[in-house]
Amino acid sequence: MRHIEGSSPEPEVLPVSTISSPIYLDHAATTPVRPEVAAAMSASLAEDFGNPSSGHAWGRRARGRLETARASVAAALGVTSDRVLFTRGGTESDNLAVLGRVRHALEKGATPHVVTSAVEHPAVLEAAERAVEEGGRHTLIGFRDGAFDLDALEETLRDDRPCLVSCMWVNNETGLVLPIGEIASLCRGSGVPLHSDAVQAVGKIPVDWAEAPADLLTITGHKIYGPKGTGALIVRDFRTLRPLHFGGGQERGLRPGTEDVAGAAGLAEAVRLAVAETPAESARLGALRDAVETGLLARIPGARVNAGSLPRAPHILSLGIPGADSDTLLAALDAAGIAASGGSACASGSSAPSGTLAALYPGDGAAALRLSFGRLSRSLDAGPVVRAVAEAVGRTRSLGSLALS
Amino acid sequence: MNAPGDRLRILVAMSGGVDSSLAAAMLVEAGHDVVGATMKTFCYSGDAAESKKTCCGLDGIRDARLVADRLGIPHYVFDVEDEFTRDVIDDFVTEYGRGRTPNPCVRCNSNTKFRDLMKRGRVLGCDGVASGHYARLDRDNGEPMLLRGLDRSKDQSYFLWGLPADLLGLLHFPLGELTKPEVRSRARELGLETADKPESQEICFVPTGNYRDLLAKKLLPTHPALSPGAIVDTRGRILGRHGGYSGFTVGQRKGIGGGHAERYHVLEIRPETREVVVGPRELLEVGGVVVGELNWLTAPPEPGRRLQVQIRYRSPALACTVVAVGGDGVELRFEEPARAVTPGQSSVFFDGDRVVGGGRIDRVTATAY
Repeated sequence: MRHIEGSSPEPEVLPVSTISSPIYLDHAATTPVRPEVAAAMSASLAEDFGNPSSGHAWGRRARGRLETARASVAAALGVTSDRVLFTRGGTESDNLAVLGRVRHALEKGATPHVVTSAVEHPAVLEAAERAVEEGGRHTLIGFRDGAFDLDALEETLRDDRPCLVSCMWVNNETGLVLPIGEIASLCRGSGVPLHSDAVQAVGKIPVDWAEAPADLLTITGHKIYGPKGTGALIVRDFRTLRPLHFGGGQERGLRPGTEDVAGAAGLAEAVRLAVAETPAESARLGALRDAVETGLLARIPGARVNAGSLPRAPHILSLGIPGADSDTLLAALDAAGIAASGGSACASGSSAPSGTLAALYPGDGAAALRLSFGRLSRSLDAGPVVRAVAEAVGRTRSLGSLALS
Repeated sequence: MNAPGDRLRILVAMSGGVDSSLAAAMLVEAGHDVVGATMKTFCYSGDAAESKKTCCGLDGIRDARLVADRLGIPHYVFDVEDEFTRDVIDDFVTEYGRGRTPNPCVRCNSNTKFRDLMKRGRVLGCDGVASGHYARLDRDNGEPMLLRGLDRSKDQSYFLWGLPADLLGLLHFPLGELTKPEVRSRARELGLETADKPESQEICFVPTGNYRDLLAKKLLPTHPALSPGAIVDTRGRILGRHGGYSGFTVGQRKGIGGGHAERYHVLEIRPETREVVVGPRELLEVGGVVVGELNWLTAPPEPGRRLQVQIRYRSPALACTVVAVGGDGVELRFEEPARAVTPGQSSVFFDGDRVVGGGRIDRVTATAY
């Protein structure tokens, strides 16, 4: 290719070096179904087509499998099985927790007030905004001096009696672990129910109902090698929730619709294995994460670990990279065979402006890169990943200095 | 633009419309290593708090991704909102504020789309950038040149005069030799999801079609462009009042009111006095034009050179002679008087089918009044 005489010389096309085989570092977005889960689901699909609400033998058989699954989830999380409400995923559980409480408050004639951390998943934040549309209030609790602002929460709980506090256990964008035990004791002291989205916590850190007694807890299957479209809401008191769906009595009328028995069986097996394997998996992921983190910090000048000074779950490494563009970096990584994400996987594929990072680093323009580890990184060597990521960052940073503008 | 048979890695701008969808498909068919990209240019809902999530659900991005998946190529979304706002939307508002009528698509092509994609493409190892514009590229003694699209009813070379000259050799316009019906029928044959998607007519960041809403949002309410003023004739006699000159474009007939609707056309907008000058159609004729903010895709012409100039989209090119050429402007004399020459609009210079360069119309000369 030539350029017109007199114009500036065209910069060389940067060569793309690809790694030998693609590397999946996006386990916080979703995970593959593990064989044990697939086996449990196959068995259920093959054998239990009956409707669990039916009184005949086919119904009994399906109901048996469903209740076994419920008991298994309950046992893994240390709750009784009558507290496990199957839903169709994490978003649905979050929506039901927030709006179910809001509708309950409205029914009692109260003005619903929902308090959430500023780093919640949109399934919580946008549901809380709906509460505002219904005449209620939404208070966001942010971070102060680099830590979750427990004082602000305490003050909010002193001034009012919200219908719900919702605070995630592990943040999906940074791996940050929220001080859920302290939050729970503040809520309990004020008699305000606490919901916690534990989607990123299960299987990564101990999720102990006894230690952090939330009133509502969201879990999902697909982040822990279970099927997509499966989840549960752990509910301490069903009487204080109102449904978002109508047309049947299933799941105590809070999630009507014929149950997904195979999905429940898959979720149960996924939760059982994830919880059983947490100590070993957590140590393994933490060591890998630390090796990649150390390598990248050494090779990417100016890089920062997001939420690096706070407690973090072992599977997520979120980097803030000044002078790079997140969209282009992710595209360059994809071209190099590495699956990663920005803050989180937005529906459009574009880098969504991150509420979490804005809350932690207001006014900061660094590109976010999230690498999340899991079972597909079992035999992963940190070295090649560090080299490939650092190279992609270097290429992307050169974007600003390429001629043409 | 490279030798036939070369396998290139090409970044294709995919808006989610049928044209860019087929452009991508044709490059894939030709054996190239194709990467799709959609630029997220602005927040479509217009409400800063709400827009971030609305953008994610945008039809254009979704459709582009569907097509890319069908073609088996990667597709990325690049957020260029800040640059687009600065270079295109703010300029659009400023120009209307000055009583001029801008071409935002030209600004985007000149400043945002191709430059940005070429830069990102280089990071992704791409040799070139493609789009679904109806224009052609060829070489003249090895030198890249931009030509009109063969389908004159769709030709979009008018919007491309501002392309950085050093990019021309790296661009690909696969649709340049096709007609719109051909594009649709090929897209249907290939089963592309966007084959029968309606043409977008509006300016992308003014989805309602009413640009004055945007001006009202971006300009102070006291801005002269939004303030009442006089409608006057060429002798300064007041014929009526208007609610803000930003609602007018030179050449337009409507909007003057007072029973003069049939007889009067907007001849001139005078932002300094907020006057809109109107007159009969024959007074729209002008003898020459001064074009500024130039970009040349060939060597600049010498004074005395005869060229053709297109002063608005979908209007025929007019024969003209270059009177003077300076760094910041060129003066042209039309061979026949030209009508409705509108400051702010692009003026594109052609030598036959070849785009010589272009600029923005600064002012007219030799008016009929």
